[in-house]
Order: sequence, then C-alpha cells, then structure tokens
Amino acid sequence: MRILSSAPHIRTRRTTKNIMLDVLIALLPAVAASIVYFGWQAAVTILISLAAAVLTEFVWYLVEHKVWRNAKETVFAWAAQFDYTSLVTGLLLALCLPANVAGWYLPLLGSLFAVGIVKMLFGGTGKNIVNPAIAGRVFLFISFTVMANYATFYPAANFDPIGKTSLSELMTGATSLTSGLKDGAMLSNLDLFLGTGVAGCLGETCKVALLVGYLYLCVRGVIKWYLPLLYIGVTGLFAVALEGFDFSFFLPSILSGGLILGACFMATDYVTTPKSKLGNIIYFIVLGLLTAGLRKATGIEVVSFCILLMNFLVFLIDIAIRPRPFGYVRKKKEAKE
Amino acid sequence: MIKKPRAFFRGIRIAGHKSPTDRMPAERLSAIPEVIIPLAQSIGAPAKPVVEVGQAVRRGQCIAEAAGIVSANVHASIAGTVAAIGPRPDGRGGQTDCIVITPADVQEEAFLPSLSEPSAEEILARIAACGIVGMGGAGFPTHVKLAPPVPVDTLILNGSECEPYLTCDDVLMQARKNEVLRGAKYLAKALNASNILIAIEQNKPDDIAAFADSDIDVVPLKKQYPMGAEKQLIYCCTGRKVPLGKLPAHAGVIVQNVATAVAVCEAVEQGKPLIERIVTVTGGGIRQPKNLICPVGTPLSVLAEACGGEQDAVKLVEGGPMTGCALTGTEAVVTKTTGGFLFLTAQETNTDEATPCINCGRCADACPMKLMPMQTEFYTNAKEYENAEKYGGVLACIECGVCSYVCPARRPLAQAIKTAKAELRRKS
Repeated sequence: MRILSSAPHIRTRRTTKNIMLDVLIALLPAVAASIVYFGWQAAVTILISLAAAVLTEFVWYLVEHKVWRNAKETVFAWAAQFDYTSLVTGLLLALCLPANVAGWYLPLLGSLFAVGIVKMLFGGTGKNIVNPAIAGRVFLFISFTVMANYATFYPAANFDPIGKTSLSELMTGATSLTSGLKDGAMLSNLDLFLGTGVAGCLGETCKVALLVGYLYLCVRGVIKWYLPLLYIGVTGLFAVALEGFDFSFFLPSILSGGLILGACFMATDYVTTPKSKLGNIIYFIVLGLLTAGLRKATGIEVVSFCILLMNFLVFLIDIAIRPRPFGYVRKKKEAKE
Repeated sequence: MIKKPRAFFRGIRIAGHKSPTDRMPAERLSAIPEVIIPLAQSIGAPAKPVVEVGQAVRRGQCIAEAAGIVSANVHASIAGTVAAIGPRPDGRGGQTDCIVITPADVQEEAFLPSLSEPSAEEILARIAACGIVGMGGAGFPTHVKLAPPVPVDTLILNGSECEPYLTCDDVLMQARKNEVLRGAKYLAKALNASNILIAIEQNKPDDIAAFADSDIDVVPLKKQYPMGAEKQLIYCCTGRKVPLGKLPAHAGVIVQNVATAVAVCEAVEQGKPLIERIVTVTGGGIRQPKNLICPVGTPLSVLAEACGGEQDAVKLVEGGPMTGCALTGTEAVVTKTTGGFLFLTAQETNTDEATPCINCGRCADACPMKLMPMQTEFYTNAKEYENAEKYGGVLACIECGVCSYVCPARRPLAQAIKTAKAELRRKS
C-alpha cells in the first residue's frame, strides 16, 4: 500500500526538536560564563532546575497517559515525543536565579511551577499562555523574599566589584540596574558588558555570552534578528528620554539587569509572541516602552514582569491584526448619504 | 534581451533535485500495450465521447468533443481500435470515464491541415479544435484563457519550473527553442498582445542564454518557490499585482506554459492536436530517472517499466512534490497536464506525525500570499470556517504548499486551508 496524503509531499528538515536544541546550544555560552563567574554553585543550580523541569514533564506525561496500564510503552512514547522544551524552560529559569546552593529549593520549585502549572496544565508544548520560565521566576520572586535581595548577597563570586561598592549601595537595586545608574564611576559600561564584578542572576551578567548566543540564533534562523534589537533599542532610548535626553543613560540601561537575556531568549519565545510580523514589531516596541517606564517608576528590575504582562496581550494583538493578502485592494468606503 | 527581474515577497528556497534528469533529452516511449484516455483532462466539464467501441481510430482523430465552453476536445493519441469506453480507476482512489484504445500495427495520422499566416480567429479556432489546455498543471482550456474579458498587452511564457524534481519544461526548452518562440508569436497574435516575455529561473542558465539570443525578452528569475505561480510570476516579470479575486487579465497579462506554446505551434503548423507530452519520471524510488515523450493515456506502469522499475518507493506522486497528487498505484495515466511522476522513498517524503503548533510563524513568513496559515488551521480544526477566512485568509490561497513544507511541527496546514476553502465554497 502506498502512503497517501495531501500535498506537499516533501518537508523541510527543521523540526520543533532541533529548534529547541538550537536554543539550548545558544544558551551554552551563558551557562559557561555563569559557571566561570559564580563557581560550582551555578552548575548545581542549573542541574537542579533542568532535572526538575524534565522530571515534572515526565511524571505529568506518565499520569496523563495512565502509565499503570502499560509502563514500558508509555515511557518509550514519552521519549519519542520529548521535544526539549522543558529543558529550555529549566535552563532559562536557572539562568535568572541567583547562584546559591543554600536556596536549592528555589530552582526545584520554580521548575515545578513553570513546567507543571504554566505549561502542562494548559496543554503542554505550544499551549501555554505565558512564558513558563518567566512565570517561574516571577513566582519565586513574589513568593520568597530572598529573591528580592539576591543582588546584595550574590555578586559575581570570582570578581571583586570594581570601585569597592558597599553593600548599602548595592541594596538599592535588585540587580546592578539602579546602583549602576546612580553613580557611573562605580561600574563602567565595560564591566556591565562583560559582567565583571556585577551582581545579578546566573545568566544575565555576562552580556558577551548572551550576544554570542543571540548571533547563533540569528544565523540558524531561530529568531528574527531585529526583534531583540528593537526591544533593547526602544528600552534604551525611552530610558534616555525619561532622564531628559541624557544619552549617558543609554548604555547603562541596556547593559544592566536582565534586559539582554530577556530580549534575546525570553521575549522571543514563539508560543508567547504574536503570530504576524507587524504584531511582533508592535509587541516588542510596547515591551521596550513598558520596561523603561516601569524601571524608572519602580527602581527595580522589571524585565520579567514586563514580558509576563505583555504575554497576556498577545491574543489581543493577534486578533486585531488581519492578514492583507498579496494583491489586496482596500475597499472603497461607501459614499455617505 | 535579458530583463531584470524582481523578487516577490516571502516564499522559500527548496533543494531542486533536478540533476538526475535535467541534462537528459526526452526519449520517445515505444510499444505501449494500450492507452487509457480520460475524458476529463482539464478544468471544466468532461468531454463527450464521439466514437463507439470497436471503431477504428487514427492518431490525432477527435474521439470526444468539448461539452460546454470551459471544456476541451480529446483526441486519439495512437492509431488503433476503441476497446472500451467506461469508468477506470484514476489512481487517486476514484474512478473516471475513459476511452481505451489498443494500438494498430500501422500508425495512420489524422491531423488537421496546416495554417500559413493565420489570423487571430483562425488560431483560436485551431487551438480549440486541437484540445489544447494549459500544460503547467492546472489544465485550463487555452482557447478560453485566450479570450480574456478585458484586453491584455503582455504574454508571459512560464518556463520557471519552480517545482523540485520536474525537468519536463527544461528539456523542452533545450530541445525545442524555435517551436517555443513560434508558438509564442501565435499566442500573442491571438491575444493581440504586444509584449512577449519568457520567464526562466536562474537554475537553468543554458536556457536563459539560448533565449537571450532570440527576439523576445528573457526574465531570469531568482530561484524562489513558488516562482511559477501565476500571480507571483506576473509581479516578478512586470511589477503588476493581480487584484484579489480578479484574473491575471485584469493586470493586463496572460501567462502560458512553454509546453503549451509548443503545442500551439504544432497545432497551427502541423495541425497536430495535443496528444503527447514530455513527462519526467524521477525520484529516489525509480532505478533510471528519465524524461519521456509519451502519448496521452499511457499508463504509469508502462512508464515505470521503461525507467527500469521502482525500488523502495513508498509514495507515488503525479506532478511536482509541492502541489502534486499522491497516487494509490501505477494504474494512473498520463494526461495533458501531467508534468511528471515521482517515486519517492521514505527518506525523501516525510511521514512524521504532526506535533503541536509552537506558533513560530514560519508558515506566515513563507506564505507568498501573505496569509496566516496557522490561524486558518486553528479555526478549521474548530470547524469555524468564517473565522478561518477572517483571521487566517483562505480564499486567496494559491495552494502552493509552502506552509506545510516549512512547518517544524509537521502540521498539515495546506490541507486545512483546502478544507476550509471547500467548505466556504460549498456554503456560498
């Protein structure tokens, strides 16, 4: 018997699985940088998060597919459909946590929430309304006070903060965001760029590693190159505008905090961005305005909150934008009588 | 003269897979046990048979006449005896009415007289008498297409052949350049069109060079799929956009396939009806891929035999891999519109199960009509066809298959759009 199906009969080699694998590869420089900067505690945090994410999905699948009926086949079926999305979620979540083994339950609970509640409860891959990693981070942020002050306690371990920053100065911000903005002499833009001496989450400090990952994603065609740049650019420019067009704020505001990590890896998540090109451009511009505005208003790092907020608006953007087919002719308005 | 082309928006690049046959001159197929000629070989009503079982027919004799305006005559592709008239399996899971002819020992011809210096009306009448239809795949009767509702000024010959695997138009242009040119002149005369362009994709540099010497303009098109689609082709060659829901004639353009031009040339100069064509038989599942000149009605089994037989083919396709139709078996026959038969191996064709949509937007990025296939599929699965049209766009779809091709989740997007289209047409 021949295989019968509707045209087309050939397909691209690209699959969901290898797109996700590309994202994981793109995050490797950031993982390496986090281990160099924060030491073995970073590795442990990442491993706990990854393991918890995959295990959550695994257990969910087993229960959903009634493993007690046919254990062996269910496990194989899980392996066959496993598409690395939970690994991406686990890794991204770990990269926006502090390096702290004493808080080992944070990546565990975060991954459990991200994969179990945010993704699987809504129907698994492609069905989640908000980005699981972002939701996991926000969940931890508002549930555990230690998260709010992590910058105080977990500066990049292998580097001394340049300019001998006192703890009280660092206390003012969740990340180096506000402290860096307050006193330009304390941390130079280069420090922010390389992440040397900058307190922050595992993945967000070393911008070079993130940009290498961003370039890889662009070359592999996973993300559109202009979208993260749009987000970063709009945030920087709007921050400048809010400070009365003082352009010395441009570089600190785009290089500090989780902006680059969020822009390149989290805001670009396919599932939680609009479908159309125009929709995406609107989404990233509004995201940039929101980030700069809320940063100014609250004085803390808000990238994850902004992305979470915008995720809820994606559906509205999608239904507002109608396709205009090639050769579309604008309908002439009927003459008013 | 070589004209500078444009690129259309979006579209994709696909590996050509044309190398097995693109330098292989077409061979004439001989010794065919019988031909099975379908009565419905074009868009529109099937032709009405005018011969009886047992009657002797000559090659080129009209055996079925057009029924209605949008319909085309059908001619005997070999001389012989009518063995049967009735339904035969069409290779697509259904049955279609056919006239079966068993060959005679002596091949007598019954062509029409040749025309010299024909007028536009004479050319049109000859095209209708010879049953010529668009040979690119859709099969719209040519005499209907040449009588557009509004005057046109440009004729584009479509030699882009953007479908992977197929090389029938390529070898035709290599071998029969002069017939293509003369056919184009006749077509232009019938249309009263002043501009003639021939559009060839850049993966066929020899053809571009050959036609650059001639007196018609050559447009070397970028290799982009679906370049051969009418609306995209017109935009790339002339910069005109065909308004939605309108005919290409409304943009002042008529597009004809190069093979149709050759058929017109033969019809006018030799009085030969459309009874044979070049068919590419290729794919990883056939031992010796070939271009074959075969009479209309030749069964696929004869073609497969002439190409050394099949090997590990899991899927049979009539036409190109992007828009062709999957076949149930080798009982399918060559029609006026068959560009090729593909024997695809499991490795070439993709049979992965669909996984959930991850909303990556690749289908929308690739859609040459700027639609949103993921939205259409979403609403079609929910049987909300009006919403599918509203948010995704259905009726403008040209069914090129790009959306399904690029989908990393392997979702049958093109199929969903076709379903929605059929449902919307049924309702209206």
